[in-house]
Amino acid sequence: MKRFITISMLFVLVVLAAPHFILAAKVGQPAPDFTGTASNNQTYHLADFRGKFVVLEWHNNGCPYTQKHYMSGNMQKLQKQWTAQGVVWFTIISSAQGKQGYVDADGENKYMAKMGAAPTAALLDPTGAIGHSYDAKTTPQMIVINPQGVIIYDGAIDNRPTDDVKDIAGATNYLNVALGQALAGKPVETAATRPYGCSVKYKGSWF
Amino acid sequence: MRNPIVGLLIVLLFMLVLIPLPGAPASAATIPHGTVDLVAENQWIAPGSQTYFGLNFHLEKGWHIYWVNPGDSGQPPRIQWHLPAGLSEGEIEWPAPRRLGTSTIVDFGYDDAVMLLVPVRASSTLPTNQVAQIAADLRVLVCREICVPGKANISLALPTKSMPPEVDARSSELIAAARKFLPRQAPRDWEFKVTDQNDSFVLTAKLGRRTTRAVFFPLEEAQVDNSAPQRVVPVAGGFQLTLRKSDQLLKRITRLRGVLELSANQTYAVDVAVGDTQVAK
Repeated sequence: MKRFITISMLFVLVVLAAPHFILAAKVGQPAPDFTGTASNNQTYHLADFRGKFVVLEWHNNGCPYTQKHYMSGNMQKLQKQWTAQGVVWFTIISSAQGKQGYVDADGENKYMAKMGAAPTAALLDPTGAIGHSYDAKTTPQMIVINPQGVIIYDGAIDNRPTDDVKDIAGATNYLNVALGQALAGKPVETAATRPYGCSVKYKGSWF
Repeated sequence: MRNPIVGLLIVLLFMLVLIPLPGAPASAATIPHGTVDLVAENQWIAPGSQTYFGLNFHLEKGWHIYWVNPGDSGQPPRIQWHLPAGLSEGEIEWPAPRRLGTSTIVDFGYDDAVMLLVPVRASSTLPTNQVAQIAADLRVLVCREICVPGKANISLALPTKSMPPEVDARSSELIAAARKFLPRQAPRDWEFKVTDQNDSFVLTAKLGRRTTRAVFFPLEEAQVDNSAPQRVVPVAGGFQLTLRKSDQLLKRITRLRGVLELSANQTYAVDVAVGDTQVAK
């Protein structure tokens, strides 16, 4: 009887949990696991970073909105500031081969050296598998995962949805606010915003 | 030129580049992959009157610009007006957009050609017998597979006169044509109801006829999942439309505002209170 109850409970759990596997990633839910190959030729497995905060940054070096945050040095500053505090930062490139922003490992390494980018690693996702599992829509789009592996922020980098470098100063940087609150042990107040920028140039997308 | 055919081809190519886009007037400003010009419905501005201006966009095939809610990506055009004292601009009146894209990323915008309308009010103390310089700095994002941000300065000089304004034949025709694409007020006897049902909003419409086609464009960002299919269920006297909520929507909303499209030239402005949560069975 005890065994029957255990099995029944397991069944109920699986049924309750099932929609979470069908739906895309969402704030408050477990971050979909992934294994990604980085431009430094290393393989990164998200589950290996339990116990740390992880930032995912969707990237396309040809997108004017990405350029806003890289030409100004804003993104690199954030990468340095947060990785120095033990946060793991993955830049993710989901552009398919032939589409804007697609790079091979060598191309990305050169770009990062030139721009002074300092993420933990840049993951090459030309199949869009990681991008689709998080339903990433734009570049840039920022996701924060807590040490328990739960998504605690998903959305825009800041509250000024423009491609103008002048809009960086004075903007509310949602990523900074979210990480600041989370690292201080507080709940993230603004946990989801509309990400802004260019559409992610997935395989098969036409704009 | 050694080969006359090559020479001819080069000349032809140059001619192609120089041919303006159809419908674009000679005075149009250039934006990435298109042009924009400013038109006024009247020949002059009178004190105390209202004049409609149109930003007349023409885009190359395949390129688009964005609605006030751009959807999953993109950015609407922004206009910074420079008007003489005594004139003040109103809000942009946006024509109903189109759904752009398929699969997981869906945007709202316009391709080919579109005119954004803006009313400009003249105060009763507007000085007359002068020339008013109406100018606007425009920033616009133009996209096809990639996006190109652009800027343009557009301007128009209009006299100010004390007599009632007379329409400009060509411009007023363009503006009248553009008005047909603005969402209309829904007829008074139509009824809308929106209920919050778990992961969806359900919009029930009573229009006096069974309706099989309806598309909703949310005015606010991050309320409705833009890429989710919108399920229309025809019912007696109307339809029921299920709109999946956006993953970015973490709070209850009190109103759902947007544009309802029943057919290409039948679009309506909708602003409905969101009713109490009903637990879906």
